[in-house]
Amino acid sequence: MNYPIWELAQLNSGTLVAFIATIHAYVAHLAVGGGLFLWLTDLKAVRDNDPVIKAYVKRHTWFFLLLTMVFGGVSGVGIWFIIALANPAATSSLIHHFVFGWAIEWVFFIGEIVALLIYHYRHDQMREKDRLRVAFLYFLFAWLSMVVINGILAFMLTPGKWLETGQFWDGFLNPSYFSSLFFRSAAAVMIAGLFGYVTVVFSKEEELRGKMVKYCTKWLLYPVPFIMAGAFWYIHSVPESVLQTTFHLNAQTQFVVTAFVVTSVLIFVAGLFYSLRTTPLLQKIMVFVFLLIGLGWYSSFEYLREYARKPYIIHGHMYSTSILAADVEMLNREGVLKHARWSSVHQVTEENRLAAGRELFNLQCLACHTIGGVKNDIIEKTRDLTYMGMISQLYGQGKVLDYMPRFTGTRQEMEALAAYIISGLQGKELVTTLAQFDPTPVDNEIPPFDSATDDYVLLAWNDLGMHCISDCDPWFILLPPANTLEAQLIKRGALPEVITDGIVLKFRVEKGFENPSAHVEFWDFAESYFGVRLDKNRGLGGKGLEGEFDWHEERNSFVAEMIPVVPYHDDGSFQPYPLFIIDAVEKETGRLLASTKAVAPVSTEMGCRNCHGGGWRVNGVSGVADETAVNILKVHDRINGTALYGSASQGSPVLCQSCHADPAIGAPGTEGHNNFSTALHGWHANYMHVEGGRACVMCHPAAAEGNTRCNRGIHPQMGLTCTNCHGTMEEHATGLLNAQMENPSSRRLVKNLTTTVSEVKPRTPWIQEPQCLACHRQFKQPARSSSGVNSWNEAFSQLYRIRTDNAGLRCSACHNSPHSEYPAYNAFGKHRDNTQPMQYARSPLPIGAEFSCTVCHKKEMNHSVHHPNMVRPFRNKQAVREQ
Amino acid sequence: MDYTSLIPVADSIPAPAWLFVILEQLIFLLHIVLINAVLGGALIMLFGRNMEKDSGTAYNRYMPVAAQLPVMVALAINLGVPPLLFMQVVFGHLFYTSSVLMAVYWIMIIPLLILAYYAIYIHKLKFLRSPLLSKLSLGTAILFILYIGYIQVANNALMEQPESWTAYFAQRGGTFLNSSHQTFLPRYLHFIVSSVAIGGLLFALVFHFRKETVEKREESIRRGLRIFALATSVQVVVGCWYLLSLPREFILQFMGRNALATFFLLAGAVCGTGAMVTAWSGQFKTTILLTLATLAAMIITRYQLRIMYLNDHFSVSELTLNPQYGVMALFLIILVAGLVVIGYMLKVGFNKTERSAAQ
Repeated sequence: MNYPIWELAQLNSGTLVAFIATIHAYVAHLAVGGGLFLWLTDLKAVRDNDPVIKAYVKRHTWFFLLLTMVFGGVSGVGIWFIIALANPAATSSLIHHFVFGWAIEWVFFIGEIVALLIYHYRHDQMREKDRLRVAFLYFLFAWLSMVVINGILAFMLTPGKWLETGQFWDGFLNPSYFSSLFFRSAAAVMIAGLFGYVTVVFSKEEELRGKMVKYCTKWLLYPVPFIMAGAFWYIHSVPESVLQTTFHLNAQTQFVVTAFVVTSVLIFVAGLFYSLRTTPLLQKIMVFVFLLIGLGWYSSFEYLREYARKPYIIHGHMYSTSILAADVEMLNREGVLKHARWSSVHQVTEENRLAAGRELFNLQCLACHTIGGVKNDIIEKTRDLTYMGMISQLYGQGKVLDYMPRFTGTRQEMEALAAYIISGLQGKELVTTLAQFDPTPVDNEIPPFDSATDDYVLLAWNDLGMHCISDCDPWFILLPPANTLEAQLIKRGALPEVITDGIVLKFRVEKGFENPSAHVEFWDFAESYFGVRLDKNRGLGGKGLEGEFDWHEERNSFVAEMIPVVPYHDDGSFQPYPLFIIDAVEKETGRLLASTKAVAPVSTEMGCRNCHGGGWRVNGVSGVADETAVNILKVHDRINGTALYGSASQGSPVLCQSCHADPAIGAPGTEGHNNFSTALHGWHANYMHVEGGRACVMCHPAAAEGNTRCNRGIHPQMGLTCTNCHGTMEEHATGLLNAQMENPSSRRLVKNLTTTVSEVKPRTPWIQEPQCLACHRQFKQPARSSSGVNSWNEAFSQLYRIRTDNAGLRCSACHNSPHSEYPAYNAFGKHRDNTQPMQYARSPLPIGAEFSCTVCHKKEMNHSVHHPNMVRPFRNKQAVREQ
Repeated sequence: MDYTSLIPVADSIPAPAWLFVILEQLIFLLHIVLINAVLGGALIMLFGRNMEKDSGTAYNRYMPVAAQLPVMVALAINLGVPPLLFMQVVFGHLFYTSSVLMAVYWIMIIPLLILAYYAIYIHKLKFLRSPLLSKLSLGTAILFILYIGYIQVANNALMEQPESWTAYFAQRGGTFLNSSHQTFLPRYLHFIVSSVAIGGLLFALVFHFRKETVEKREESIRRGLRIFALATSVQVVVGCWYLLSLPREFILQFMGRNALATFFLLAGAVCGTGAMVTAWSGQFKTTILLTLATLAAMIITRYQLRIMYLNDHFSVSELTLNPQYGVMALFLIILVAGLVVIGYMLKVGFNKTERSAAQ
């Protein structure tokens, strides 16, 4: 904000910091431990009056001086140089707060240099007693340097009370100060042992080699318990939230943790190796190998410490982007560019959008990312995202995965940055709208019904009105092809009855949909997902596209479960509302009692591609493309450490619900994981950058311009959107998450969700939904302010799709499936969903509405028997007129 | 674009600015003396070694200085730290900016300094056994130190001239080097020529403390002083050039409009001229003293010039004070204690009685 950004797009100044800092700090630790090593080894030589050790000390000092004083000294200045280039604001802050700390450190530094120069150049000219004193002073100065620098390094990770007081000593003697000092001191001793080998193995004297190898091994291995204790202490001096972010959320640290553990073991192996009798040549080669392993060990420690600080450069105070935590709110309100001194753009306009995006990229991304470079390449990281996906990423960045800073700035700035990355860097088109379709209506012949002669009314419906399947079967399945039809047969009369015995209900799909296996690959992968080998065109419940219903006592209906219908017609067209012909046949005689049609809604218009990229799978119309599916698996793998993509690409895709429980398919999942719906909604709610019902149709097939337009009941025609019943995306997700708060992931996902409702009641997906009667109190006209949020039913049996009226008729039988309540309007044919009311009452209104009791009753009725307030004129007839 | 809007906001400082300015200038004097001596000594040595056919003579003439260079580099680097640190406290917001603008050149200082440092060691270690490698190393070290000086001068100049910062918007990769400015060349030459002069003094100084025959010793000291005098006479010309290359307003300030600036420039010029004269006449100690006085005056003059440049944009009095006097006192105590310990180590390291006892 305050300083120009070094636009080092391919390399990234942070990489340079890491490179210089790790090598320097490795050598700097040698300077400390090596100081102790020189002093005590010299002391041993004097006490034992051992000329062999004396010779070794002298030679080692020379090597030590060339490495620590020349390389170590200058590279230390190098860190200072490079951090000032990479993050001038943070460097300035550290310099100004701790200038006297740095100055004190310099005093120790010059003392260290003078001591080492005297110890080396005057080695033989001094009395032994004085030489040992100088050696000790060297070690003391070197360690005191560490005492000072450790305070500032630890401050950056755990500034502690400094955040409130701003006082030097509160920052310096911070919560991780002593543990870090202890760990570093022990590590320094070990590193001294490691470097001690170098002079030993290159010595020509066998006696010296034999003696000093063992000596160095002691230095290498004795500190190990102290290092372990120090690491334990260190970890426990860092706040739990920091550890969670570092070790659980940040997938990048997994490799480093492994590297730390492996190199720790290998360093131990180094000690064992030098205890063995090997050839001098092998010893020489291996010493470099072990030095590199030591560097790996040390670097992984520093890397973890640096990562633990993310997203801050000074924890809780300044982000790695140089933005002060205290300024975020103001910058979100007023804009980052307005306050960025070194930006060529201070206000985003349509014309300067890409230029503004570049400035924002420099300000907020370049600190950690490169453009096509060596580390955190932004092009690679965002390759799978669309423009909308990029905006979502920026919107949700840092909320759940809080090792990244949140985007700071206005909405316009967020879009400008997304535009720069997607258009400016990726060269992709900036698509801001959902795909537009114009479905072609298809004729639907209404079956005959003669109220004078027909004795039966057959009511049939799909249990869900809005239903998707994912057809990216080689990669994953959100829901398999499985529509469930239900039906009730009513024998007309003065007092009609629901017929349950002596009949057979049959179903068959309309022509062109009989062979779903020709359109989707579900049957090729069913065994991998569900562990069962399925015959082609037969569903998980054993039903095919033609068959018989089963009587379901609890539901008081005939049910045909999991019919594997798909929305693809054999002629290549997309039809998300295939019709089923349902016949009621008398069992004994085979006489056809009644026949009707019902829609089995099934769409593959899933909005994953809106953010995750990829086209449509089938004919440019619908379906989840391979590219989309692969992108999703990869991102899941990256964030959660899974191997779903690898498994799927080897022909063994994994069922999402094998981990994430799902009442929709009866999957128990595994403990500790959120259920499937909670996981999906909880995650995406943090990233969803659009509001209201638009958020829902980004994924679900209910967009008014989409190819399914699944929200086709009376409600959208009355101007209601998804959120009137389900709440906003945040509320919807919060209810689900609140039901799973025992899982840490739920707590992480819910913490940043804001809801207008003060407390969203916990809810189990599929089992608990908004209740109709929450708005339609006592079956009456809802108040304008009514909302379905928090009206979740308690028991499964209270669900609209399960409930019956007072006479044993299912709600859905007369009102149709949820989301397609009569009078429904279907873009693929005006009355495609209204077949039954049109058949029985020549009207799309609910069965029995508008005083049409005679559909079932053979006499006029004037009592609200089925439910209160039913005998009345239909309120919203204008909706029918407007269709 | 209005460059003044680019100037960053400075952070608050933990003690009065004058303290940091004094500490910066004081230790910078030590640093620049050492760096000048290293560079000048190396230049004289490279020139002299190439002129001298006889390796024995070359060894006798140059090895005593070559042997001192690594230690001097070590101390020079170390003494470069505090001026840079204290300067950043007062002028950091300007300095970080100029550093980023020329980041590529700036960061290259580090690897080149490491290489120069090792090259100085190689020069000494291979002096006799491998003269070519030794001289190549010395040449390399000189080139790298010249580069570092060039970049240091460029950064200081850029820091002091925010009006040139708008170049960033055309060159964001850290490759903007503001060295085409008319003052740049004389400013840089002023550093190089003074290095040769101090290098001459280094020779004189090293031989002054050596146990050579009086005649040889005197001759070497005289030679060193002559180099000093010659270089200083060139320096007078370069200094005038530098002065005249400055904006007219600054020249006038140095010519009487600003009493303090005029005094120190004049004092520097007088002492420098005096040193030149005493050097010609072979007065070693007086030359040393006058040279130190010249350097001190010139360092203050350098600071005056910085203030003139920044006058329109920044004044140290603008800095907010957020005192840390307790820690400051601790630093001063540790500084004194550190110097005492260093003194003790030097004493035991160079104690003649003890050395003979050890032998």
